[in-house]
Parts: sequence; C-alpha cells; structure tokens
Amino acid sequence: MNSLNRKVKKIILNIPIYIILIFLAIIVIMPILWMLLSSFKPKGEIISYPPTFFPSKFTTENYVRLAKRVKIFDFVRNSVIYAVFSTIPSVLLCSLAGYAFARYNFKGRSVLFILVLATMMIPFQVIMIPLFLIVSGVGMYDTYWGLILPRIAVPISVFMMRSAFVVLPKELEEASRIDGLSEFGIFWRIMLPQVKPTFVTLVILGVNAAWNDLMWPLLITGDMSMRTLSNGLAMFVGTDTSEHGPAFAGGLIAVIPMLILYLFGQKYFVRGTVTSGIKA
Amino acid sequence: MANKKIPRTAIMPYLFVAPVLILLFVFNILPLLSAFIISLFDISITLGQPKFIGLENFIEIIGDSRFWNSLKITLKWTAVEVPLQVILALILSAALTDNSLFNRIIRGIYFLPIICSATVVGIMWKLILHSNIGYISYLLRLLGFENINLMNSPTVTFYVIVFMSIWKTFGISVTIFVSAMQSVPKSLYEAAELDNAGKIRQFFSITLPYISPTLWFIIMTRLISSLQVFDIVYTTTGGGPNFTTETLVTYIYTRAFEVYRMGYASAVSVCLFFIILIITVILYSRMLKQEKEY
Repeated sequence: MNSLNRKVKKIILNIPIYIILIFLAIIVIMPILWMLLSSFKPKGEIISYPPTFFPSKFTTENYVRLAKRVKIFDFVRNSVIYAVFSTIPSVLLCSLAGYAFARYNFKGRSVLFILVLATMMIPFQVIMIPLFLIVSGVGMYDTYWGLILPRIAVPISVFMMRSAFVVLPKELEEASRIDGLSEFGIFWRIMLPQVKPTFVTLVILGVNAAWNDLMWPLLITGDMSMRTLSNGLAMFVGTDTSEHGPAFAGGLIAVIPMLILYLFGQKYFVRGTVTSGIKA
Repeated sequence: MANKKIPRTAIMPYLFVAPVLILLFVFNILPLLSAFIISLFDISITLGQPKFIGLENFIEIIGDSRFWNSLKITLKWTAVEVPLQVILALILSAALTDNSLFNRIIRGIYFLPIICSATVVGIMWKLILHSNIGYISYLLRLLGFENINLMNSPTVTFYVIVFMSIWKTFGISVTIFVSAMQSVPKSLYEAAELDNAGKIRQFFSITLPYISPTLWFIIMTRLISSLQVFDIVYTTTGGGPNFTTETLVTYIYTRAFEVYRMGYASAVSVCLFFIILIITVILYSRMLKQEKEY
C-alpha cells in the first residue's frame, strides 16, 4: 500500500514535467506541421485573418506557382547530385584512409593522422574566400566539380572509420592475406563489410549535410539552373516576400526527403550524432 | 610488424591515405594558408590586379564600426545561445534519460529539426511568426500580447533568431547528453538513495561530474558554431533590422560577395580564426584543469 502510494505520488509529482516535455514537443512539431498544411491552402486562405491551422480545402496551386516562379526541378536535381556524388566518394575514400590508419603500421602514420585531425579544427567560414578563389580560379565556378570536390575529404569521417576498423580482430586480414587476396581486396571484400553500421551512418549524415548545406552552394553557383534547393529557395524567399504559398511548398519539398531518411535511419542519425557530435 | 616481409604492403597504406590527404591539402590547408596571404592584399573577386598593401586591411578593421558591431553581435549571440541551449538540454536530458516509450518518442521529436535546413527553418519560422499571416503571432495576440513585429524589431528579432537556432540544434545536445547520462553507473544512484539524497542533489553531485567531459564537449562545439553563425541569419533577416543581427560571418559574406573586397573580407576571416583559436585554447585548458580536479 505504502509503495503504491509512493508510486502514485511520484507520477503526480512528474505531471508538470510531462506537460513541459509535451509542450516543447508541440513547439518543435508545430511549425513543420503548419508549413506542411499551409502548402496545400488556397492563396486566399493563407493571407486571410485569422490564420487557419488546417486547410479548409486542399489545393496544389502553390506547387504549380512555385514551379512557374523558380527552376524547382533544377534545384531538386542539383541537390540530389550534390548529395549523392559528394557522399559516395567521400565515404569510400574516408573509409580507405581510416582503414589504413587503423590497420597498417607505416612510417609517418601518427603525424599524418594528427594532420587530418588538425584540419577538423579549421572553420569553413575562415577558408571560404580562398577556397572560392581557388575553385573558381581553375574554372570550376558553377560546375558540379566545383560544388562536389571540396566536400569529399571529411576529417571526422576518417576519424570515425579509423575507430571502427581499429577494434576488429587481426586474424581477419591475416587469414585473407594467406588466401592470396590483394591488399585492396582485403579492405573491400573482408574488412569494409565489418564496419557496415559506421558506413551507413556516414552515408546518412553525409547526405543530410549536403542536402542542407547552404554556404558553399551559395558561393560557388551563380546560374539559377545550378542552384541547389537550400540556396535557391533561400534566394527566392529572400527576394520575393509576398509569395507565401510557394515558399511553404518549397520548404516542404526540401524537408520531405530528409524526413523519409530520418524515419528509416533514425538510429544511424542518433549514433552518428553521439559519436561525432555533428554540428548542424 | 610482420609487414616487412611483404613488400606490396609497404606502399599500400600510402596509396590508401593519399586521396584524402591530397584533397585535404588542396581544399582545406592551402585555403587556410591563402587566407593569411590574401588578407595582406587589396584584391577583387576577379583576381585582377592584386595589390600588396601589408597590414592596411587590419588597420582599416580597427576603425570599422560595422566590424565592431558584428563582433559584438556575435559575442552576444554566443553569450545568450550557448548557456541557454546547454542548460535547457541538460534539464531535458535528465528528465528523458530512461528509455521508456514516452521518452523515446519525445527524444525522437526533439531530434527532428536537425533534418531541416536553415532555409526551411527560415521559411517556416518567418511565416509562422509573420505579423499578418503567422499562426503563432495570432495565438500570441489571443493571449493578449500586443502586435509586435517579431521579425523586424531592433530589440526583439535578435532573440527570436537565437530561439530559432536553439530550436534547430537542441535535439543534438539532448541526444548526446542522454547517451552520456545513460552510461552513469546505476550503483552510484543507488548509494545516493540510501543516503536519502534527493533527485536534484543526485543530479549535481553524481550526474553532472560524471558527464563533465561530455558537457565540455557540447559547450565547446556549441561555442565554436555560435562564433561562426551565418546560415540562420542569412535565411531570416540577412543581418537586419539596422544591423542588429549582423554577425561576423554575415559581415564577411557581405564584404566578399556583395562589395567584392576579397582582401578585406579575408582579413576579417583571419580575425575570426584567431578569436576562435583563443577561445578554444582558453576553454580547453580550463577543461583539462577541471578534469584533473575530479
């Protein structure tokens, strides 16, 4: 009886905490949900007072208007290209480097690894101007190469891959070496499959980072047909403040793929955040 | 190691690390070195006729009130955003440590904003706080708040954007704190229960000391990204109204890509680099000192 009383008391004492937690959850979800719903509202309803939460009537006119105003299909294509073709080579090359740092004993290993870690401390905002001058200086302004190449070497990925490889048992590669597998074959066919969770984590974080990247695409692209979603939409919203409906629609298009990625890969997002402390 | 016998393995590790090292050199290290050099030049975006001017850019910075304003805004941002975010995340994590279904759902929701780009955050918050069409502005009015323009006020807008920034990133801090708090040995709390120590006492005398490396890590990463804040400003106010939200990086961006003064912008970047470096070193030595004390 006494313990039951204590339990009840504990629950009652915790009610304010639950209320605060739920209230914050509402604050997190509300703008996302409101944007989603508003993107399907007719123009008249968006600017009417008082504003509504749920649309009185579903329409896709905002999406049609968005497509008329900006090159939304180009934006989406560029974002997909940027996300896919910066992430895949990045994760592969960083795995390879992390693997070498973890499994080989070569001269200069620690110096080179410390060098990689040190570059982690270089803020992008400090190097963006010279980086822009270098990349555009070699004629890669407004090209996919210019967009993608600087984004391939990611120190934190090398670091995470090294940590994943370093704990594997030594017998693995020794047995394969006796079997006559090439060094690259050992990496590719034996070792890389062992670190699949870290690999998937880096792919998901990489895609999310590229998809949401604003600064670099903003600097290195100029033509509207080369813009990605994040900077193309930012410019559209910044220059045309009266087009609320298409802004909602664009925002939704930008967020939906990442929402799907999150729903399927939530544990990788969390894992990657805890181990790398990614800044968003 | 035994690798000596097998010559083919001697060269392989270098081949494996070479691509990443070359890319890092070309796209990170070289630009960092160049930033210092460019800051000594008067140079435009086309790179035409660069002129060596020594420290003149830095001398100009000293008398540039817009630079000092942006530095002040950046430090103010850091001083407001970092403590608020860290304290909020600590409290929430303490309440959400257990892996109950409710807690897992709430944590999943809190993490959600990380998938939103600054552009998306800008679009939805700007519109939901819009003075005419915004739903939250409408709710605030129902609650009796007067009709203030949250997105265009020299006094309030700064805090509104700080709020958006916290909204976007606090889920990351919560996730990291929760994972650290879950690793605190249960036996420590059980011992404290026997001593009749209350929950709050337990938090301060067990949880906090135990997770202090994580706490420092969060403070450090939040601090560094606060000093570099740009995205959320660019997608909401662009630095306005009246420069009250113009941060250092926003100012660098306008110098380089709106008035095309690459040399001057680089000089401001170099200042930013040293500010970050100094603050990181101070914090890091503090952290090491505190870790020794425990």
